[in-house]
Amino acid sequence: MIEVCELTKRYGASVAVDGLSFTVRPGRVTGFLGPNGAGKSTTMRVILGLDAPTEGRAAVNGQRYQQLARPLHQAGALLDAGAVPGGRSARNHLRAIAASNGISARRVGEVLGLVGLEGAASRRVRGFSLGMKQRLGIAAALLGDPPVLMFDEPVNGLDPEGIHWIRGLLKQLAAEGRTVFVSSHLMSETALTADHLVVIGRGRLIADAPIAEFVQQGSSGDVMVRSPRGGDLAGLLAASGASVTAAPGGGLAITGLDAGRIGDLAAAHGIPLHELTPRHASLEEAYMELTRDHADYHAGLPDESRKAA
Amino acid sequence: MTAITATPSVPARPRPARARDVLASEWIKLRSVRSTYLTLLFAAAAAVGVGYLVTHADATHWATMSASARAAFDPVGDSFSGLGLAQLAFGALGALLMTSEYSSGLIRTTFAAVPRRRAVLAAKATVVGAVTLVAGEVIAFATFFAGQRALSAHHLDVTLAHPGALRGVLAAGFYLAVTAWVGLGLGALIRHTAGAITAMAGVVFLVPQIVHALPAPWDVRIGKYTLDLAAQQTIAQHPAPGYFGAGPSFLIVAAYAAAALAAAAFLITRRDA
Repeated sequence: MIEVCELTKRYGASVAVDGLSFTVRPGRVTGFLGPNGAGKSTTMRVILGLDAPTEGRAAVNGQRYQQLARPLHQAGALLDAGAVPGGRSARNHLRAIAASNGISARRVGEVLGLVGLEGAASRRVRGFSLGMKQRLGIAAALLGDPPVLMFDEPVNGLDPEGIHWIRGLLKQLAAEGRTVFVSSHLMSETALTADHLVVIGRGRLIADAPIAEFVQQGSSGDVMVRSPRGGDLAGLLAASGASVTAAPGGGLAITGLDAGRIGDLAAAHGIPLHELTPRHASLEEAYMELTRDHADYHAGLPDESRKAA
Repeated sequence: MTAITATPSVPARPRPARARDVLASEWIKLRSVRSTYLTLLFAAAAAVGVGYLVTHADATHWATMSASARAAFDPVGDSFSGLGLAQLAFGALGALLMTSEYSSGLIRTTFAAVPRRRAVLAAKATVVGAVTLVAGEVIAFATFFAGQRALSAHHLDVTLAHPGALRGVLAAGFYLAVTAWVGLGLGALIRHTAGAITAMAGVVFLVPQIVHALPAPWDVRIGKYTLDLAAQQTIAQHPAPGYFGAGPSFLIVAAYAAAALAAAAFLITRRDA
């Protein structure tokens, strides 16, 4: 279990994390989402005792990380797959980490097997692809067989096979009863593995909810309608209390009436329909909606009309 | 997929952290990169090679040397003429042990595995100290014997039994280890390879040169406290006029290593990794 309590981290004048509190529970994959610069990596570094919090605290299995004896048996982390010494072989890199916590060389061989790097164990890390470095970083995190695992953007730069592998691994680790905490700035990726989401923006908590709840809380759906008599239909639906907007690419986006009611109304007035599609806001849209006001850097897109969340 | 569950090789109840484990970890790190061996080889070649060339030149020019030059001739000190290059290599070895972890980002993995950062620093200092002290003494003796061989052509050579010779050779090896410690301490303080090696070179080479250029008597009054000028007194057969003798100079040399490591130990827990 990971607990973050009223955590604030300032670097000079800028606030990276601002009064953040949440708990990551065992037995499920918890996604840690936020736009770039939201404070995800900072939060993970504070949890690992690498950065000192300005205020508040973080605990792993009920203890401050710095107080853990042989912490690799309590928590394993992959912060940055590129953070490996190029001149050392994969096996020696892992042996050095393992030795510091009294973990045997045999376990090094085991984790190399787990991540599928046995064949490359004697090669120097300099020649590794990013995907191989991600596997090596995950192997290091698994060395102490810890009940808590943290991965910062583990799918970055991976090929489809590697992404598929990581998804399976995360789910398996959670199914074994471990606490699995995975950061990402991509909702679409996180949605495939996470059972629970912690969303932050500008260092503050935006949402902490099961993934299903998150969709509803984020945004509601609408109905996409196409008709050769679009003008008549628009008037009819508006008169029935719906809100009608012209959808990009033609057609009408209707809110306030469900698809069945729209179909009935059109039939009753003899208006033909070429399309009648209920649309659920995707997780990605829900996420965009939630973090829109919390992103530090916006691309120069035309201002969209802001819906009330 | 294979199960990730614990195997008997992992103890269910972890033992408390031990200094020995951190030492073992740092030992693996030091000996598993090629640069360690290349650096030590370069240092040995530079110290022995330059020392041999200088003593060979001494022997060749002996016949035409002035009386004062003959009086100042130091068969032990001259054989260590190439020590500076070896020091540069040893200092870089010490600095890189720390800065390579900061530049690659490995330091976060290291500190996540061992949150007691001073234990990491102590282990690095112990491992690099042991290796550079042994390597430094081996290089020092090899340099001494190579130099004496060059001098033997004109019967200018001395043996280790010569007063001050053994002390000078041991001190030269110790000075190499001190340079590595100073490099390690500066590496932990500065955390950037180029900056740490520049600072190390400044402390070892530049500061004594600047102080040496000061008007008398300040060149000696300050100079006797600089690392390199103090170290020269521990190696030389006879201390230069106005400088401390070998004993106090040895303590000054050791104090530089202690100060660099103490400053590193002070700051290492106070900064974000």
